[in-house]
Amino acid sequence: MPTATSAWGQPMQPPAYNAVQPRTTLQPASASSNTPAAASKPKKVEWPPAVRDYVRRAFDPESAIAGVSSLEMQTKLKETISYYAERNMQDSIDWTTYPLPQELIQEERRKAALMSPTNNGFANGLSSLHLNGANAQANSSPSTLKKRKSQDSEELAQQTQAILPPWRRTNLESRMTFAEGHNEKRQKKNAASDASSKLEQAELEKRRQRFNLGKAGNNKTPPWGASARDEDEMPTGPVVGTNTALEKSYFRLTAPPKAETVRPLPVLEKTLAMLTKKWRAEKNYNYICNQFKSLRQDLTVQHIKNAFTVKVYEIHARISLEKGDTGEYNQCQTQLKALYAQNLGGNPAEFKAYRILYFVYTCNKTDMNDMLAELTPADKTHEWIKHALDVRSALALGNYHKFFRLYLQAQNMGGYLMDMFIERERLVALANMSRAYISITLRFLTDELGFDNDEVCREFLESHGAQNIIEEKFDEKTGKQYRVKIREAAAHFEQLRAAAFSKVDIKGQI
Amino acid sequence: MQAALAPFQEAHATALAQPVANFFSPVPPVQEPGRLYDFFRASNDVQIEGDVRYVLKHNKTTCMTQKESGAWVDIIVSYWRAVKEIIKAEEASNQGRLGERQYVAVYDAWKDLTSNFIKHISGGALPAWAIFTLYFTANHLRRIAIKADDQLAKSKPATVNASFSDDIVSTVAQNQKLEEAARVFNRIFALCLGDRNPDLNESRKWGVYCVANLQFKTYFKLKAISLSKNVVRSIEAQSDLPPFKLYPKAHRVTYRYYTGVLAFLQEDYTKAEKNLQEAWDACYASAEKNKSLILTYLIPCRLITQHVVPKAPLLAESPRLERIFGPLVTCIRKGDLTGFDKALAEGEPEFVKRRIFLTLERSRDIALRNLLRKVYLAGGYDDLKEGQTEKDRIRKSRIPLVNFAAALRMGGQAVEDDEVECLLANQIYKVRVPCPVQDSLLTLPQGLMKGYISREHAMVVLNKKGAFPGTGV
Repeated sequence: MPTATSAWGQPMQPPAYNAVQPRTTLQPASASSNTPAAASKPKKVEWPPAVRDYVRRAFDPESAIAGVSSLEMQTKLKETISYYAERNMQDSIDWTTYPLPQELIQEERRKAALMSPTNNGFANGLSSLHLNGANAQANSSPSTLKKRKSQDSEELAQQTQAILPPWRRTNLESRMTFAEGHNEKRQKKNAASDASSKLEQAELEKRRQRFNLGKAGNNKTPPWGASARDEDEMPTGPVVGTNTALEKSYFRLTAPPKAETVRPLPVLEKTLAMLTKKWRAEKNYNYICNQFKSLRQDLTVQHIKNAFTVKVYEIHARISLEKGDTGEYNQCQTQLKALYAQNLGGNPAEFKAYRILYFVYTCNKTDMNDMLAELTPADKTHEWIKHALDVRSALALGNYHKFFRLYLQAQNMGGYLMDMFIERERLVALANMSRAYISITLRFLTDELGFDNDEVCREFLESHGAQNIIEEKFDEKTGKQYRVKIREAAAHFEQLRAAAFSKVDIKGQI
Repeated sequence: MQAALAPFQEAHATALAQPVANFFSPVPPVQEPGRLYDFFRASNDVQIEGDVRYVLKHNKTTCMTQKESGAWVDIIVSYWRAVKEIIKAEEASNQGRLGERQYVAVYDAWKDLTSNFIKHISGGALPAWAIFTLYFTANHLRRIAIKADDQLAKSKPATVNASFSDDIVSTVAQNQKLEEAARVFNRIFALCLGDRNPDLNESRKWGVYCVANLQFKTYFKLKAISLSKNVVRSIEAQSDLPPFKLYPKAHRVTYRYYTGVLAFLQEDYTKAEKNLQEAWDACYASAEKNKSLILTYLIPCRLITQHVVPKAPLLAESPRLERIFGPLVTCIRKGDLTGFDKALAEGEPEFVKRRIFLTLERSRDIALRNLLRKVYLAGGYDDLKEGQTEKDRIRKSRIPLVNFAAALRMGGQAVEDDEVECLLANQIYKVRVPCPVQDSLLTLPQGLMKGYISREHAMVVLNKKGAFPGTGV
């Protein structure tokens, strides 16, 4: 029997730590471990295109070899390229012909098998022994690996050269140098102070070591960890950032953030100004989205909840709407709803209007009902909200005439939202009209369905397989005229309409 | 202790769920307001278990096995602990110093009691009827959880986001205890549904529907209505349940009501109507509140499926229904669109609360149909042709668009000419109205109006016969 409980438990009790492994990028692992001087401040490696291409090929599913897991492959890959990077020999290798990591592993295995045919497992064990960078990867779950694979190779190659946040730069080193006894003491302390089970606690502690505590290595005390007592309470207290860089790549937190990686409010304000300018100039959505996410994260970890926070979420929501990124839009919208509830300013009316339009898009009657229940009489008279409500009621009553007028009058980002369902509603209107009319002029259809001109309207019909019903007629008064024998395609439009409603994307919906 | 447990032993001797459930109540019976207090005073923390064990062992009225009496000892002891918390909370509230976790303590103790019940029922230590006693206990748990949540909500309004999520506002549960209780109910439901006892008389399957109803109530309260679907699905997937009609009427009516409302919310109006009608037919005649609840959904349902408006006597039966639906129904009858819009807007808060707003809104089509029909009737008849008599003469079937436009504007509607056409097109199309979840309306045979629009002649050409199906013309 399917249990409803599992459906509950998840969203209501978010785990204190997210079980997500950080992406183990191909940073020069052995370099930092061999040369302590470089480790404290590893140089930023600029990977040449040839190496990046090599990495891309390594990750290409087509070059996968059965029996070599992607985990082993990644480890080998990392080992290989960092070996050459460390000796500055990247350019001396012909990367296009260099064997791929999976091929190297296969070769190694073959050799090992030749040497001691009876003890294959031992050989494997040996090879994994000297792969010192493998620890972190060995822990990653199959699902995260799979997720990674699905990323396109270009992005992957980009990430190999992405600037690493400081806390990750130190993670390997700290892992290597952490004193064992010290850990145990810390674990005990935490276990006592926390209600969660010992097992969990140990897991968390392991993670904390892995990602966070360069403390033991470089003896720098972070502000939140002034005393052991403070440290135990660390996750609940806000961080005060000290980072002054305007840009920062987003990285999902798996441990408490360190102050030096977090930007304080004044810096974030500058960041926002810089980002809005950049967005207008460059329109690079991937970059902007990433930056906004890190911006939001910095706000969160410092518990900054004010008009600026609202502004950040609003701008991010608008940008994601422009790009049709509903997932990100919904995240922002959820947050905004809660922020508006605390009266921090911003434009609640605008975003209420978006929510209504979004529910029109998803056809979510339950949420729409809740939304209507929330609106105050004052809300209902607000221009933007009223527009959204009119859109809703026009569609509910099948008044396509009014709906397409409203589409042309949409303000702010409302147009982008309505774009998400405009095609669907055109099909609804066509299905409707095809029952009521026998034949109409193309011009009438253009006007009723809110097309820019006859040509666009014609293209729409043609792209939906209704080219046959358009006919050219000569009229004495008006000259050449296009007519649409709409009745003939009634069944066809009905089918298209039903199909359009069967798939609605609802990821991350409020 | 002997005296304090006498009511339990009497109840147990009846071998009925209800009397035993009455003993395990968080509120004292009306005729004996001091019962809980006396029961609490009959023992103390240290001795309670020994006391109960002694009494049950040496009782003469009931005969139970060692195993059963052990189970009851467990249950009664946890009940005593719950009573202790109840009395503590009561005293605190009487003295006006109610701590914020007082009801939570009651809740926790009561949850222990419920869990003990579950444990012993699934262990087979208790007789078959105990499943219903458990149901009553669980129902109390629901009420106590709601109370505990209220108290928690009052005491700490906002929580700080302590997790590592990327965003500011965390999704901390508002109804923590009730959610927890819902998980308990889920266990009870599984306990009932999964019983493999081949003897149906002894089966816990008889508890399936009442526990399901308990879950529905909880999910509706939690605004997690969609979880109810899982319950319905599990029941429908279970092939070996006793026939539905053999279950107690109370279980059936409530179950049908909730499944009807669920279908209603998913816009499956045909199924909703069927279930609600069954609930209505089986409902106890003087259960006014239940009847009015059923009608709250059945009336909008029938407006959609059959275009049927409730008759005046039905509404007159309940002042609440009259208040909710009265004005709308009058406007629909008259074809008064402006009045309809006004009534809908005025009733909106109530409609939205009952989740019937979006459905009622659609009955505007019927109001419009009635208006258009009036235009058609006012158009009069074609001239008599040879051989035709007064009796079988035909109404004018070609009606100028301007007539319809005039009628709409007379009623106070601001409509453009093309919009009038659009409204008419809708009337012709409406049978196949968009119904994204389930195209149940496709099965309905008739539209609101039959005919087509001719733009060239600015006319509506209506069918000679049955231009407005189902209205006699």
